[in-house]
Amino acid sequence: MSFLQTHLVNLVVFAPLVFAVIIAALPPSEKQQIRVATLLGMTLTLVLALWLYLGFEPGGPEFQFEYRAPWIPSLGISFHTGVDGLAASLILLTGLLGPLAVLASWSFIEERVKEFHLALLVLQMAMVGTFASLDLILFYVFWEAMLIPMYFIIGIWGSEERVMAAVKFFLFTLVGSLLMLLAILAIYFITQPAGARSFDHAQIYNSLLSATREVSACARTGALCPNLSPLAQSLWTYGPWMFLAFALAFAVKVPMFPVHTWLPDAHVQAPAAGSIILAGVMLKMGTFGFWRYAIPLFPVAVRDLRPALAALAIIGIDYGALMCLAQRDVKRLIAYSSVSHLGFCMLGMLAITEEGAAGSAYQMLNHGISTGALFLLFGMLYERRHVRLIAEYGGIAKVMPVFSALFLIITFSSIAVPGTNGFVGEFLVLLGTFRSALPLAFGVLAALAVILSPAYMLWMVQRVFFGQLQGENHRLRDLGFREIATALPLVALAILMGVMPQPFLSRLAPSVKLFVARASLGSSGEHSKLGDLEMKVLELPAQTGIGLRREGPKPGQPAQTGGPVRLARSGAAENPSIPPPNPPELRR
Amino acid sequence: MVSTEHYLFLAALIFCVGMFGVMVRRNALVVFMCIELMLNASNLTFLAFARQRGDSMGHVSAFFVIAVAAAEAAIGLAILIAVYRSRGTLNIQDIRTMKH
Amino acid sequence: MVFSECIRHAPLLECLQKSPVDAQSMAQMAWLIIALPLAGAFICGVFGRMLGRANTNLIACAAVAGSFVFCVLAFWAVNDRATTLISPFSRDPIRYALGHDFGTWFAAGSFRVNFGLAVDHLSAVMIMVVTGVGLLIHVYSTSYMAHDEGYWRFFAYLNLFIAMMLTLVLADSLPLLFVGWEGVGLCSYLLIGFWYEDAAKAWAGRKAFIVNRIGDFGFLIGMFLLTLWVSAFQAQTDNATGQGRALEQWRAGVSEQGPLNLRGLEQVALRIAPSFAPMAGAVSLQTPIQSGPLEGNTFGQVLVAVLLLFMLGAAGKSAQLPLYIWLPDAMVGPTPVSALIHAATMVTAGVYLFCRIGSLLVLAPAAMAVIALVGAATALLAALIAFAQNDIKKVLAYSTVSQLGFMFMALGLGVYWAAIFHLVTHAFFKACLFLGAGSVMHGNADETDIRRLGGLRKEMPWTAATFLIASIAISGFILPLSGFFSKDAILHGVHSSQLAGYEWVSSAVWIGGLLTAFCTAFYIGRLYLLVFEGKRSPDAPVAHAHESDWPMIMPLAALAALSVVALIYGLPIIDVGDGRQTLIENYLSTVFNLPHQLARIHRTVSVEQEGLFGAWALAWVIALAGGGFACVLYLWYLPSRRGAPLPAPIRTLARWAANGFYLDQVYDFGIVRPIKFISFVLYKVIDSLLIDTLLVRGTAWITARVASAIRLLQTGDAQSYAAVMALAVLCAAGYAVIQVLK
Repeated sequence: MSFLQTHLVNLVVFAPLVFAVIIAALPPSEKQQIRVATLLGMTLTLVLALWLYLGFEPGGPEFQFEYRAPWIPSLGISFHTGVDGLAASLILLTGLLGPLAVLASWSFIEERVKEFHLALLVLQMAMVGTFASLDLILFYVFWEAMLIPMYFIIGIWGSEERVMAAVKFFLFTLVGSLLMLLAILAIYFITQPAGARSFDHAQIYNSLLSATREVSACARTGALCPNLSPLAQSLWTYGPWMFLAFALAFAVKVPMFPVHTWLPDAHVQAPAAGSIILAGVMLKMGTFGFWRYAIPLFPVAVRDLRPALAALAIIGIDYGALMCLAQRDVKRLIAYSSVSHLGFCMLGMLAITEEGAAGSAYQMLNHGISTGALFLLFGMLYERRHVRLIAEYGGIAKVMPVFSALFLIITFSSIAVPGTNGFVGEFLVLLGTFRSALPLAFGVLAALAVILSPAYMLWMVQRVFFGQLQGENHRLRDLGFREIATALPLVALAILMGVMPQPFLSRLAPSVKLFVARASLGSSGEHSKLGDLEMKVLELPAQTGIGLRREGPKPGQPAQTGGPVRLARSGAAENPSIPPPNPPELRR
Repeated sequence: MVSTEHYLFLAALIFCVGMFGVMVRRNALVVFMCIELMLNASNLTFLAFARQRGDSMGHVSAFFVIAVAAAEAAIGLAILIAVYRSRGTLNIQDIRTMKH
Repeated sequence: MVFSECIRHAPLLECLQKSPVDAQSMAQMAWLIIALPLAGAFICGVFGRMLGRANTNLIACAAVAGSFVFCVLAFWAVNDRATTLISPFSRDPIRYALGHDFGTWFAAGSFRVNFGLAVDHLSAVMIMVVTGVGLLIHVYSTSYMAHDEGYWRFFAYLNLFIAMMLTLVLADSLPLLFVGWEGVGLCSYLLIGFWYEDAAKAWAGRKAFIVNRIGDFGFLIGMFLLTLWVSAFQAQTDNATGQGRALEQWRAGVSEQGPLNLRGLEQVALRIAPSFAPMAGAVSLQTPIQSGPLEGNTFGQVLVAVLLLFMLGAAGKSAQLPLYIWLPDAMVGPTPVSALIHAATMVTAGVYLFCRIGSLLVLAPAAMAVIALVGAATALLAALIAFAQNDIKKVLAYSTVSQLGFMFMALGLGVYWAAIFHLVTHAFFKACLFLGAGSVMHGNADETDIRRLGGLRKEMPWTAATFLIASIAISGFILPLSGFFSKDAILHGVHSSQLAGYEWVSSAVWIGGLLTAFCTAFYIGRLYLLVFEGKRSPDAPVAHAHESDWPMIMPLAALAALSVVALIYGLPIIDVGDGRQTLIENYLSTVFNLPHQLARIHRTVSVEQEGLFGAWALAWVIALAGGGFACVLYLWYLPSRRGAPLPAPIRTLARWAANGFYLDQVYDFGIVRPIKFISFVLYKVIDSLLIDTLLVRGTAWITARVASAIRLLQTGDAQSYAAVMALAVLCAAGYAVIQVLK
């Protein structure tokens, strides 16, 4: 395995950081150089992400391109990165939106250009890192790291009330994250015995598996279960609370109703690049968190809370759509439409059927592209007029026909016209909801979005693009070459992903199957063998060298007894005079 | 023999006087003197118990306390002089720069 | 054997039966039928302005013409006796059909949709109509839009529309049909709002799209329920019955093509056992579903629900009650658009859908009754509204709604071939009427109010002649042209069929149909007479109307000719043993034999062939009466009362009819305004007030106030700090002493 093979994920994660360092060395007055350098860095990240995506084999192991190195062995934290199908797709999305965000700010950001691009690069690194990490503390570090550059981007380069929006965004997300930290620590202590604790996601998950099965069998009978093992007992008592803590953190990010009010303010005040990244990628963190962490770790809690969560998702869908009808500000309207679309993602996941989960995963990608494109295109318009109110525009299609055409195509993607990507995602989510154990009414209510979304989008399009050309809009010039080149990839992808979704879906399929199998452990756990559900990852390497892939733990032995640090036979061989350290003592 | 309780009572009395002075008196020098009073009271307690037990642990502790008191007095008076130079007053009630 | 080989040893007439291209290659080339207009749309849209008007016209018309050529080839191939399609769902070959699977579109879990195109006699008729009439309208548009700046957009949208409609017709599975279904809705939105600078016109486009979407909502949910239904069927049929191998084949087909493939659905309809003769292990309509989300309902109940949901979709697309309100407003678009989309093609999508799932439809007489009643009610209502309209296009719009109602009446009673026949003839004469209206507008400075026209027969002879022929075709007045035969086929078929359990529906619908036929003759007569006969109105916008040029006249003439010629298909000249069939009934029987067979087996629809000539006579008399009444009224009675107002009750009725019986206002107050109000309330009260202000900012405010209170502890007074410390130590010491003493 070449250097590139083993380190590809790390390269994708840290390439933006390397370029950030390079840019830090440039003088702040050389704006064009800074922009070009950032664009190069982002493009390189995109190329690497594409390589990663194309190199991912759907038929292969669950996590590919893994890398693991010890970090804080005494606490059981390792630097463990790797991707599965969904993570690889989301990393590609992040990589794609990076250069586009830089291009969107090319002529828009003129002050403190260096700091802005530094923030963008660090943000890129943090986002990719969140998707790629397989260790809970590493995930948490990257998760929190995303907040700070975004806070700066909104707070410094935003619109009139930027500071309020930035603070609101930061505090809201932080509160949820802190609860998640508590839950992570709880799960660290509960699931593993004192000597063998680790923050590794796979290890924690595998330790929980048999306990989950016990609790699930118990929950289905409905009686008090006296014979649970101690781990199952703690899971039975604390599982719902831990799930709620995780769920709150991710629900704020998604955003779900009722913790969504930070989103409209953040979007309205953020600059175009900030909105693109926020809507395109950061909102997916929430759904990704549910997919990877919250739901698989606590399937029994999910089963109990499913109707409530699904109801919240549907409220998000319909309420978000109804909100849009009352908006006067374009960006606020698009922000609420994000709430509506991501409600679909949540519903698809909560349906716990293969069609629903596949639709949810695909919808995550779709939303990134279509809403990212909406913010991108509107940013171009905002750059010309610096107003966001719908009433200020009107009849623009006459003077900006190319812009109107591109915007219309993206609008159709947003309202799920067949032939665009939105249709495939929504169709699969709705089908999955109908197939699931949720009542039929849920599916019907969710399908109402089919009527409501064209109502608000076409209303906005009508008021902005059609009608009489009025006032200041006479002076608007159509899109230039750079702007068309920025918007065209997203528009083309919207159509391509609608006509040929199968290549994307096939990479997501194994991840979907495993997700559904793991999540259904809470309700119909008899069907799958525990061995199929375990996460098989790299072992931690010895003191030197990179770990070799070994077969995962055998079924029936869920608890890892190996522990993060193997007894270093090789270490002892190198230094015979020094007695090998006693593992239990080190960990105290 | 004078019993230990008498010494302890005296020490407690001196300590309370000192504590009262620290909390109430306005002049910083007087506060310092009261702190010295408290320290001496504790010294007395140590010596009383040393005499009761018959070993010299109490004496050793008393020496520690004396040394600490001396050091603290030196530094404290230096700070006090600096404060007087910048504020022009030694009245503690007037020095409230740490107020919210 | 192909045409080229045949011609060497057999006479021409015999060889015309053989297609020049063999079925396999034709099936693989079927994608070109859709691809050509799609490419035309792309080129006209992106490069149209650069290429110039003449080139854009040429490319657009050439694209549709090329597609037409391929449609002719497909039509020819499908007429060949040797053409068969091996369906993956059964071992039996399907004759007179061809199809090809172009790969998977998307698949997840057990669901799958493929890009599959299929042509059989029904699709062949439809695609010929779509591309043929489409080509004529493209030629017409080159002249109609000759002065419009956005010509490149127009032809791009028009080509895109043709491509989407062809996708709808050629699709071999419901989701792919839905792609075309929504696609035509999209193009309708773009074309109705074509002159977007007028906000009202753009709004009409949006209204059309949203009302269509309400129908699509029904269609989608119907598709999902149907998928669940097929899964339940798959789970509950037992292989142990005599149909074991067939079921195995069907299951293999489902995993390969997905559950919503049209051929697969036909197979399911075949395998359902009749309710009154249940077989062990087989599923009948009365069998309850045992597991899954539909548990507890019988197969029959779910099927009725699915079909009613599809009816909601069809009501949206084909402008039936209660979703027809978008069609009259859609007349603000350019007239060729009205002709193509809202007369000939898009609005017929609902009819086509039900013909395609005809095998399932005959299993649910409840749904059929509803469809027939909705069709009849719509037909009558729309015809009454058309009485009082003064805008030439609005009359024709309501007429379209009414004629579509006829088609749904036929569908509801199982007379599928009559619905399709009427669809084809309606495409011809309605497109001719609309294009004629466009010609009138073109020659009269875009005047649409018929009270301001009049006496145009001498000034616009070609327009008048074609308009007259089309009017006679639609009404059947004096001369029985194609429309007479198709409408009568429907009425006769409706009268002869009975639905099991709903026998009264047949008579009710028949009477409604007769009344509507009377009304049709009346309003069309009124339209023709007011526009072309009599004296020129004093309010006319131009002194002399000029006849349009050849690109506009030629399609009019062609369509008028077709309206006449198509009557041949309605003549009962084919002998099939127990009676005579019309040409078109015989042609479409390859597709509709299966539903008729199923109707007989399940005893849901019973047909008694009655006197045909009696029915013809009745229809002719009614048409004569309606047209005669119009002539009397508008040629003699009203001109003789010029100036005197009509009696009050007639004026009130006329006003009600002119406003569409205020249905639009009912929707506005009942649905649109409440939703806007709810949205406003939700935004202001819940989001802004409750969540944001109270909860979010409230939390921040409380935190700030508590902090303000607590900081008062920081007095800055060192002595008070000392006092507090002393107090604390005292308490701790006291506590320790007490603990020790215990």
